[in-house]
Amino acid sequence: MIKAIVKTELAIYFRNLNSIFLPLIFFFLILSVFPLILGTDKILLGKVIPGMIWITVILTTLLSSNNFFRDDFKNGIIEMYLTSDTSIELVLFFRIIACWIFTCLPVIIFIPLVSLLFEISFQNSAIILSTLILGTPILISIGIFGSALTLGLAKSNILTPVIIIPFYIPVLIFSASAIEAVSIGLPYTMQICILLALLVLVLPIMPYLLKYTLELSINN
Amino acid sequence: MFQQVEYIYIDCSYVIIKVLNAKLDNTLTNNIEISVNSATCYKNNNIVLKNIDILLNNREVLLITGPNGCGKTTLIESICGIQNLESGYISLNKVNIQNQECNYLDNILYIGHKNGLNDDLTVLENLEYLCVFDSSADSQNTKQIRRSMEYFNISKYESYMASQLSEGNKRRVALARLFLTRKKIWLLDEPLNNLDEETTKVLIKLFARHQDNQGLIVLSSHFDLSKELNNVKSFKMENQSD
Repeated sequence: MIKAIVKTELAIYFRNLNSIFLPLIFFFLILSVFPLILGTDKILLGKVIPGMIWITVILTTLLSSNNFFRDDFKNGIIEMYLTSDTSIELVLFFRIIACWIFTCLPVIIFIPLVSLLFEISFQNSAIILSTLILGTPILISIGIFGSALTLGLAKSNILTPVIIIPFYIPVLIFSASAIEAVSIGLPYTMQICILLALLVLVLPIMPYLLKYTLELSINN
Repeated sequence: MFQQVEYIYIDCSYVIIKVLNAKLDNTLTNNIEISVNSATCYKNNNIVLKNIDILLNNREVLLITGPNGCGKTTLIESICGIQNLESGYISLNKVNIQNQECNYLDNILYIGHKNGLNDDLTVLENLEYLCVFDSSADSQNTKQIRRSMEYFNISKYESYMASQLSEGNKRRVALARLFLTRKKIWLLDEPLNNLDEETTKVLIKLFARHQDNQGLIVLSSHFDLSKELNNVKSFKMENQSD
């Protein structure tokens, strides 16, 4: 069963290379806009770029998780999920993981390159990378939760980000504080541990929450 | 330390394997009795179902007819449990389907008026994926899936993307699930939509076979099936005027 689910997810993403490359291109476009607006002052850029990278990643995750269930709802796959006797939670878990691998991981892989471009020090770049690796799965699962929540509504394009961005705040606070701590030479283990704890908390709960939310959305 | 972690790991994997291997012990064999008891349902503050009572036994077909917008889909959705009722309940063998002990989902197969196909998968992959959601069908059994495609005459579309198919062919792919499943209760929402005459005949033959296997079918249609099938119970719905 797991084999069939993984095979299907791979097939869907590889046939839609758009869904892999567009977030990546979007990420680079937004990042390249910042120096145009802020000017090329190296000291200023060095201070703000780690935060800018995080904001861009948030926008990217919003973009990729906003309409996560839309096609499935249109095609009646959600109804099939809810009337099936197999473990839907497992399917949803794999779909969250697949969404992260194909939309966030490419961006994360290019972080070292971005650090080179903006002359971010190795230590800062490493902390950005690790907060992103721990934070983006949480952001993606919250985004998917938002898309499940607004499923029954006809026009929910802006509504979903409005609902879910407040839930992003804990992740953002601890990531920003870890990056800040590193840049002024303070210990950062606590923030990383809290991010890890959030991840461990969110990932297993999310499939169950999603199933419940989908049931509610379908019921309208 | 490492040994402990290993033990925990083994424990977890054991539980996962146990869950995955849990076979259907709860599938019904002989007696099936579905009853809808004074079901009332509102949608957008309009009453859609009003005190509906239905009793169905195995080998029976419930044919729901009625004009557009009278609540046929809502009735079928509430029988399959994805639509909540305002009052009343639905029971399988005298156990409420909301009850955990009922194992209702182990026994039903629902095909709505949307087909449940993924546009980015080929017909064969779609059927394999659909079998994942039906533990009575084997998603690895490609031979059986090919047979189901032959039965509905869609073998030549095997490697077509679902998005390339016509509506009728999409419907046929969705209905091929009926050939693959061994579940006893079929809930079909307008299964004859978009089908040509020949496929309708094939489908009616499949319904008759399912009845011989002690199965039970609930379907909505504008097509009068009572001549083609035995034991057809007609249930006529009307628009609720308020």
